[in-house]
Amino acid sequence: MPPAPAPSVFAGTANVIAVLILLAEFGMFRQALLRDQVRLYAGQSVLIAALAVLVGAVQQLPELYVLAAVTIALKAVAIPLVFRRLLRETEPEHAEQTGHDIAGTGGLGLASTVLIGLAVAAFGFFTATALPVSSGGAPVTALSVSVSVILVAFVVMIHRRDVASQAIGLFSLENGISLASLVVAPALPLLVEVVLAVDLLLAVVVLGLLIRLHHGRAETLSTADLTELRG
Amino acid sequence: MLPEPLIQVLQVLTVAGAAPGISGVIARVEATLQGRHGPRILQPYYDLAKLFRKEALAPEGASWVFLAAPVAAFACYLTVPLLIPVLTTFPLPLGYMGDILGGGFILSLASFLVAVAALETGSPYAQLGASRAKTFAAITEPVVLFVVFTVAMLTATDLPYALAATVRASAGQIVRPAHVLAAAALFMVILYETGRIPVETHSGTNEFGMIEEARSFEHSGPYLALLRWGSAAKQMILYTILLNVFTAPWGLAATRGAGPVLLAMVALPAKACVLGAVVAVIDDSFAKLRLFKITEFAAAAFLLAVLGVFTLYLGGG
Repeated sequence: MPPAPAPSVFAGTANVIAVLILLAEFGMFRQALLRDQVRLYAGQSVLIAALAVLVGAVQQLPELYVLAAVTIALKAVAIPLVFRRLLRETEPEHAEQTGHDIAGTGGLGLASTVLIGLAVAAFGFFTATALPVSSGGAPVTALSVSVSVILVAFVVMIHRRDVASQAIGLFSLENGISLASLVVAPALPLLVEVVLAVDLLLAVVVLGLLIRLHHGRAETLSTADLTELRG
Repeated sequence: MLPEPLIQVLQVLTVAGAAPGISGVIARVEATLQGRHGPRILQPYYDLAKLFRKEALAPEGASWVFLAAPVAAFACYLTVPLLIPVLTTFPLPLGYMGDILGGGFILSLASFLVAVAALETGSPYAQLGASRAKTFAAITEPVVLFVVFTVAMLTATDLPYALAATVRASAGQIVRPAHVLAAAALFMVILYETGRIPVETHSGTNEFGMIEEARSFEHSGPYLALLRWGSAAKQMILYTILLNVFTAPWGLAATRGAGPVLLAMVALPAKACVLGAVVAVIDDSFAKLRLFKITEFAAAAFLLAVLGVFTLYLGGG
């Protein structure tokens, strides 16, 4: 087998950022505090913005700078703020010291979950490679990574049995879609992108209110009790 | 122009000579970060000199294996520097004697010998340490394998010299995700193998969480010195592999001239000190993982290594 040829510096860097976004998704398997989970999501969004700036600079697409600014303003600042504010009263008072908040809500051990996540990510990787996509934006490998991000986000939502992580999983799924759009349609009209982002903000408010409702009734963020509600 | 065998001997001497110093630098940086003055950098050398002058004792009932193991393990650690690019960019006569797996086997042999010696003692602490070291080594083994797969796909060989040359070839080789991920996974394995936080406290006294450090409890005198020196040499070897093969293969001698070789003999410890400072910062900023959480650490390293291979298969890695 001949050595794998090196990608260009741009493709390599863009792919590294895409893989970091995927790793942030894997990180959501284990965060023990709601605050850290939200921070991880904000970090993942910053990575999306960084990728948008990189693609914009290299492929001469200045509107991607605006997209990056909107991404940071909404996903890295506004959404975490709104989400934390909505859930303020659900956080236990001494969460910082005890580390008990949303810790240990995983349905399986962490190592097993990582293996499942890897299998799912591999499926995403190799199915997306089969798609005949040529890109004017981020390199095509990033598309495969984005499919993996979306699938792993599903695993996060299935694995974590607390409403907060499930909501964050849903938001980060949208990050995966943003990543895919940077590959498939980097020149998508800016208006559409902004509408999508504002839509997400709406989802955050709705989910935040639902989580509050759940917490008000069950006194916990865990969804373990909900299984007893079967009719 | 230096003869090649001499350079080869210098490789071994550089690793063996600089190894305790690197441990000293790490201990010093760690102490400084904690606001302590800390031991002097040369302290590990003084410790070794002291231990070599002391009397050696063996527990009752321990066979010759107990005393032979430290010597044999130390010999293993001195063999590996022959196989990896320590000072030169070009392979030395014995350089192709073994590939990355060969070097790995020799390191495992050394660790096996120390574990057998620990079993010989009959001391529960030493046995526990040996048993744990072997158990967790089995968990980190897949990570190392996937790192080797990545190297094999990047260079079509599994020779450390070839990967170092590939990394030097172009900037694209450095930023490609497969390389970054493999280097990160290897770094995590090195943290485990050298017994650093988050896996193990390095400077602890008796405690239940001990792994590698517990194995040498019953040794004393020159044998303990050899074990200590050996584990410092192992740390230096692993640092050399990470630096001269994966992350920073610069500063190596490209010719057999005395100047470049001397420069390389200074450059490697300097790079190792920088890496050691990074390790010290990690040591000071994370808590030790509970013993049964070490699998999670290994799982994270495995994740990085496997993703590296995936991205290569996609053609974009």
